[in-house]
Amino acid sequence: MSESSSGTAASAPAAAGGANKTAADARFLRIENLVKEFDSVVAVDKVSIDIRKGEIFALLGSSGCGKSTLLRMLAGFETPTSGRILLDGRDIAQIPPYERPINMMFQSYALFPHLSVWDNVAFGLRRAGLPKDQVADQVEKMLGLVQLKQFAKRKPHQLSGGQQQRVALARSLAKRPQLLLLDEPLGALDKKLRERTQLELVGIIESVGVTCVMVTHDQEEAMTMASRIAIMSEGRILQIGAPAEIYETPNCRFVADFIGNVNLFKGKVVEDAADHVIVDTPECRHYVGHGITGTEGMEVSVAIRPEKIRITRERPGGAHDGFNCVEAEVADLAYLGSYTIYHLKLATGLLVKASIASVERLPDWQPTWGDKVFASWDEYAMVVLTQ
Amino acid sequence: MKLFSFRALADVAWGVALAASCGIALAQEEPKVLNVYNWSDYIAEDTLKNFEKETGIKVRYDNFDSNEILHAKLVAGKTGYDIVVPSSNWAKIQIDGGLLAKLDKALIPNLANVDAETAGQIAKLDPGNQHLVVWLWGYTTVGINVDKVKAALGSMPMPDNAWDLVFKPEYISKMKSCGVSFLDSPSEIFPAALHYLGKPAFSKQTSDYQEASRMLQAIRPYVTLFSSSGYINDMANGSICLALGWSGDISIARQRAIDGKTGNKIEVLIPKTGGILFFDTMAIPVDAPHPKNAHAFINYILKPEVHASLTNKVFYANPNAQSTKFVKKEVAENPTVFLSAENKKKMIAPDAVNNDIRRLSTRLYTQFKTGL
Amino acid sequence: MNKLLARLMPNNPGRAVVIGVPYLWLVLFFLLPFLIVLKISVSEMNVGQPPFKPLTEMVDNFLNIRVYLGNFISLFDVANDDLYARTYLSSLKYAAWTTIFCLVIGFPFAYFMARARPTIRPALLMLVMMPFWTSFLLRVYAWKAILTTNGVFNQILIGLGIIGEPLHMLHTPFSLMIGMVYVYLPFMILPLYANLVKLDGRLLEAAADLGATPWQRFWLVTVPLSKSGIIAGSMLVFIPCVGEFVIPELLGGPETLMIGRVLWDELFSNNDWPRAAAVAVVTILLIIVPLAIFNKYQAESQGERT
Repeated sequence: MSESSSGTAASAPAAAGGANKTAADARFLRIENLVKEFDSVVAVDKVSIDIRKGEIFALLGSSGCGKSTLLRMLAGFETPTSGRILLDGRDIAQIPPYERPINMMFQSYALFPHLSVWDNVAFGLRRAGLPKDQVADQVEKMLGLVQLKQFAKRKPHQLSGGQQQRVALARSLAKRPQLLLLDEPLGALDKKLRERTQLELVGIIESVGVTCVMVTHDQEEAMTMASRIAIMSEGRILQIGAPAEIYETPNCRFVADFIGNVNLFKGKVVEDAADHVIVDTPECRHYVGHGITGTEGMEVSVAIRPEKIRITRERPGGAHDGFNCVEAEVADLAYLGSYTIYHLKLATGLLVKASIASVERLPDWQPTWGDKVFASWDEYAMVVLTQ
Repeated sequence: MKLFSFRALADVAWGVALAASCGIALAQEEPKVLNVYNWSDYIAEDTLKNFEKETGIKVRYDNFDSNEILHAKLVAGKTGYDIVVPSSNWAKIQIDGGLLAKLDKALIPNLANVDAETAGQIAKLDPGNQHLVVWLWGYTTVGINVDKVKAALGSMPMPDNAWDLVFKPEYISKMKSCGVSFLDSPSEIFPAALHYLGKPAFSKQTSDYQEASRMLQAIRPYVTLFSSSGYINDMANGSICLALGWSGDISIARQRAIDGKTGNKIEVLIPKTGGILFFDTMAIPVDAPHPKNAHAFINYILKPEVHASLTNKVFYANPNAQSTKFVKKEVAENPTVFLSAENKKKMIAPDAVNNDIRRLSTRLYTQFKTGL
Repeated sequence: MNKLLARLMPNNPGRAVVIGVPYLWLVLFFLLPFLIVLKISVSEMNVGQPPFKPLTEMVDNFLNIRVYLGNFISLFDVANDDLYARTYLSSLKYAAWTTIFCLVIGFPFAYFMARARPTIRPALLMLVMMPFWTSFLLRVYAWKAILTTNGVFNQILIGLGIIGEPLHMLHTPFSLMIGMVYVYLPFMILPLYANLVKLDGRLLEAAADLGATPWQRFWLVTVPLSKSGIIAGSMLVFIPCVGEFVIPELLGGPETLMIGRVLWDELFSNNDWPRAAAVAVVTILLIIVPLAIFNKYQAESQGERT
């Protein structure tokens, strides 16, 4: 998962910088108990988030989870039913969108088709009543930032998707907003272009230093671009954290399942110690190398990422012999170049996914269809989910 | 689209030929149908009904209210009408243009009823009376609502010459408040105006028309309505007190005012210098589909009792020497319908004008009406 | 015919027929009549039937073609008579005013229709089209009854004590404009509505986000983006208005001169078909110019949409 690792790398300096800031900066954008109801349907349900100055924050969730409604409340297109939005200490809930120091980059960009690239970027500056030469300076600067100077006279329909996206970015940054909102910023681009653009976008945003809230349904995009991610479902925030945190230690089955692939074993806690727990599932006995907040006899799920599973021909030995190992049959496999995905069928009928990086492939033996194999993982590979 | 081939054209031609041949075949046995195009308010209620009863010919009856419209239709051709009723001076242009058919006098025995004087008038424009038979005749003149005009004039006495009422600003300006109507066509207004100025009513001189135009411009602000048919009801109900109109129409208005008990006293004036005569004549277009039925219709109208019934209804004189005994007493005694010999002599006979004069009068008339 | 078509488009004769039908329609019902009118306009007047002289004549085995331009020359001979020039100007003026009023009234109409809840839009559309269920002539006559001196409108005004004396409204430019705007308003609203209903709401949001007030959003986004609808509606109103005859005849005054009336006079008072045809040809040319501009714009905006 090269994308996820590069995402962590990109967000690391922002996170590190955030730690040194003052408390006010840590609460630059404060969302407090925000609720939005449409005809008695709750779209956003008591959401509270603090967003640090200068960070890129992603709202991640599937469609209809309320993330767009939340973003639209920040932009001012929807009025909250209750709750507060504080930007730099000021309650902005009642300020109309055209007076907020917030700009948005719209999904599929919403560029003005009748205006040239130059005029699109200048639109907001002119509304602010800036003198002509300042408008020109700033537009030139923005077009330079997104490397579109030579396209200034073109109309949006004469540009490629990626170029349009950069125009949209330049337009939303032109007024030097205190807060930048991105609504599915790369959703309209094809996959290849999207991967290339993600980091480029982050680079530009960070060079400007604007605080940014983005909405996406694409976890890779969120992990690549954001320093922190909030996972939303049914109007609620399930977990907020850095990409690695959310990936490695999801706090519930939904999050675990939503972010990446996961194998889940359902069972009971049989031993609950301070430094470890033992969970019994019909497939095997799990030794988990960290404590949990739970009790013996509690129903839990053990989550294991596919890339943390090893496949061997022989039963592996080790410190926790008899734990964390199942016998399985290769039901299916898919070679994907940098890694191979194996679908392993256990005796109980449960399917377990394992992904083996190509560097780890053994030269003399590759499991193939019908092979009897052993799948094993170590004590720190698991997360115990109590909900 | 060259592709629209000759074959398709040939089909069309064939269809046309077929239709035409049917037309020829049918001409031998004319269907019992007759299409008549006549002036509005110009016929008695039972005229057509009785004709249909007598001959079994169904009549379709349409109206117009100016010679220009009728002429335009005849010029366009294929009107579908069997009988049209142009005024004699217009009929002359139409005869010259080959638009009207010669009558088969053998089919109209009642032609003998036409009085010699009227026939003589028509013969000036239609030598030998070969195309035209007079329907009714009348004259363009001035009509008033007696009480309203007197009230409007106040201390001013009625003018000696009735034309003063419509052409002299001193008089007509007083009438604006009670409503002034002019006939809506250049061919009616200019002869009257020229005559009032002492010029030939059907002058061929451009300068005469210019002069008449100047006079008309001066009175334009006081004309509140231009109408050639609607003014009858407007006079009857009192919304118009002075009209430059047709003698019979004004009499119809008078009768309607009496019948409707509106209390409006309408009167036809005979100007001292005379009115402008017109003879509306029955004629058969050259391309009439039912010429035989048309002859039958002309013959029917020329029956003394039929012609009298028209006069009784619409207050225009008929040319029928035998009809006098069928005309109602009050109509026969009305001096504005059947003119006295003295009045008749004053009247101005109609004449045809050429195209250039018509164009000029149309243009000047537009100028008169619109100020452009 | 089919063989010919097949030779032209060997791959798909059905396609040729489908394309051919509208062309055939245009040729038969537009081009052909226009050519006939054009032919008459360069003929000389004739008293009789037909009311114009033939263009070609065989004399001593010579084919003589006589093209008479006098009709057109006299139309533009302003020094001699500026009636035609002034009438054209006046027609254009009334048509322009009608278009402007229709636009000013029709735009908010179409705008709110397009912004109404989708469930009630069909009902609103129906209301706009409802007048078409009644005869056009009846509707214009109804205005006569409303505007006449002792008509409904005056009686209401007198009843309310706003005026003491009835106003003279019928047969004035005022009544003419009311009639024209009333009759042509739907032709403005419908294309505008069709355009505005497609307007992307996010563009307005984007404008708001960039600091545009509601008024600025209207002028800087809604209006420019509905330009093709404005032009289509304006053409649909302007073009027929130029040649309008019935409404000025019934509601206009004697001084409201429009080209339809002049044409009528040429045909009916002067029986001068060639001159009438020339008037018509010039009218068509006057209309073709804005149409060509419209076409050009359409072609340009086609590119903008894709």
